[in-house]
Amino acid sequence: MRNSFLKQNKEILGLNRRNQEYVRPFNPPSSKAIADNKIYTKRLLKKELIQTPEVYKLIRTKKQLEFLDWESLPKSFVIKPNQGTGGNGIMVFYGKKKGKWEWIRPNGTTMTKRDILLHIENILEGRFSMGAKNDIAIIEERIKTDPLLKQYSYRGVPDIRIICFNLVPVMAMLRLPTKRSNGTANLHSGAICTGIDIETGITTYSMHMKPNSIFSDTYELIDSTIDLKENKQLSGVQIPEWSNLLEIALKCQKVSKLGYIGVDIALDAEKGPVVFEINARPGLGIQVANQAGLRWRLEKIKDVKIKGIKHGIRVAKNLFGGEVEESIEAISGRKVLNITEKIFVYDKSADISRLERYKDTKRQLVKAYMDTGVTTSRIDSKLANRIGYINAHKEFDTLNIPKRFNSFKEAQEYIDRYEKEVYKSQDIKRLAKIVEDGEIKVRPVFDIPIKISDKIKITEFISTETTDILCPIVIGRADLTGYLIDTTNTF
Amino acid sequence: MLETSNLTQWIINQGISQIVLEIMISMCIVATVVSIARYIFGNKTYGIYAPIVLAIAYSYTGLRYGLAITLMVILTSLLSYSVLKKIRMHYITRIATNYIILSIVLVFFFILINNFSLGLDNMSNIPPLAFISIAALSDFFIKQYIQKSLKTSVMTLLGTIVVAIVGWFVITRDIISSFVLNNLWIVPLLAVFNVLLGMFKGLRVKDYFRFRLTAKEENEK
Repeated sequence: MRNSFLKQNKEILGLNRRNQEYVRPFNPPSSKAIADNKIYTKRLLKKELIQTPEVYKLIRTKKQLEFLDWESLPKSFVIKPNQGTGGNGIMVFYGKKKGKWEWIRPNGTTMTKRDILLHIENILEGRFSMGAKNDIAIIEERIKTDPLLKQYSYRGVPDIRIICFNLVPVMAMLRLPTKRSNGTANLHSGAICTGIDIETGITTYSMHMKPNSIFSDTYELIDSTIDLKENKQLSGVQIPEWSNLLEIALKCQKVSKLGYIGVDIALDAEKGPVVFEINARPGLGIQVANQAGLRWRLEKIKDVKIKGIKHGIRVAKNLFGGEVEESIEAISGRKVLNITEKIFVYDKSADISRLERYKDTKRQLVKAYMDTGVTTSRIDSKLANRIGYINAHKEFDTLNIPKRFNSFKEAQEYIDRYEKEVYKSQDIKRLAKIVEDGEIKVRPVFDIPIKISDKIKITEFISTETTDILCPIVIGRADLTGYLIDTTNTF
Repeated sequence: MLETSNLTQWIINQGISQIVLEIMISMCIVATVVSIARYIFGNKTYGIYAPIVLAIAYSYTGLRYGLAITLMVILTSLLSYSVLKKIRMHYITRIATNYIILSIVLVFFFILINNFSLGLDNMSNIPPLAFISIAALSDFFIKQYIQKSLKTSVMTLLGTIVVAIVGWFVITRDIISSFVLNNLWIVPLLAVFNVLLGMFKGLRVKDYFRFRLTAKEENEK
């Protein structure tokens, strides 16, 4: 428990650190004031040609409300408080009942003109706003959800939250309205949050707030939607226009001058990406949806000089991509390895029992090639010499085994003959017959500890002398059990 | 009579009563308890004022009596608000009506206690301001209920009560209050402690449970 706490403390961003290290120093009060005010935000983003929902009416006073021209409103619209927080006070109307002053809500119920007037009055009185000051009610366009995301949500509008810092998109999630959340994409009301791989825009882990938890904000990981007619698997969904969305989020950051920002974007079926709002204090639940900590990501890019939006996206994709692989690992129980991976090879003198505890153990970082065409892994003899197997090679040379054989049978005979002598050797584990440069050879086999994909394991290596080798280490089938090989990242 | 240090004696000689001094010290201690609860444990309260007033009120009413009144205040507020919300009326008038109903209910509650004791002591020795302080909780409770949700408000209420109980426990220990009263240098030390706590960036206990990466933990196992 204590270890886990300390480990996660290094990775997870908590509220204390978010406020002290990111919100306060990087978000100036003037920018925060813009983010907290939807009207200012819309104006600012419009200048940069970033799309926001179209405003139909702004109601500042009860007098204006009295004279509201209801006829001029389209059938579907949204009412929002200008300075609302956490999605409070937002009301969506899908359509109007024919011949009646009644509007239909996402859950099928209707609201009369009188009810809506009362709701707007509440907004004007500041019931849903920060600091409970008087507020402005915004009547704006209802977003028509992109058909792909529509399949995963219950009625309301799903949105994508992208957290950016220092002009780099750091983490993203998709919020899907559910029946429980009453069609809103608000996590606290019961919406589903799905992590998104920054590199590919593919969804990874998903979570929602436990419905009957005593504590109001306990999250639970889930695999599929929860209350649709036909529930769907949530991971592996490709978010449309992903690079464009990242670009829009960074543009919002640039124009708002918020160093640490959360940008909420919805995908409209006709207009494409539309920015809902920008957030100067984005919540931290996004870490659970991505099963990744924000702290180390933010620390990694704190001192990086980003030249522009494209550069920021490149940095993000290189540094924070790969969540999809982790997700595959969670589903299949297998880790994903690139076809070439950098691995550590430990020195022969290293104390195996202490490898994990001591970072200063003598080791070499080398490139390894994953080759399912060979059974046993192979190591270049020169590398083996460097890590302390020079005497083992000398010992092997004293056996006077011919350099090449005409058949495997002949090679096996030699192996059998020298079996006892090899058994006495401290370093040579056994002899193996291999085909090298088109010739059948007998070579020594060593047990060498390596660290691959964060795991230390003792691996059997055949020492080879071939010059026709891509990497000094080749990992064979025997050591690739439990891994999936990603062939997209080559040399 | 408690023996007092020179500084304490000097302050008392300046015309400040010992009770005032004790309340001031209690305020500092409970305020620090609230800071610790918020920034180390992540416990939400109705600001800092409510738990301080509640803890001091409990120290006058006694914990059992205090909690019983708190329960009455919350239940009455909840009931009266649920009824009043159906009537189209202005916010302040609704809260005012709530207070009137609350005072009537509390009077009946005190009569009940007086006649049937209900396991609680007689209330004649309790200063009336303590009751009002607890009744003020209604305002905080209803405000959050309207702005957020009943669940959020109840959770914050519980957080406030827990912190108030801890505060009550600390300030009602004679050993602690007499020690601080005789060692007033602790008070500025509490301020220094709060400044340091204000710079604390570590994970709150609640954050750890909320944001811990469970899938990652399992994979590592």
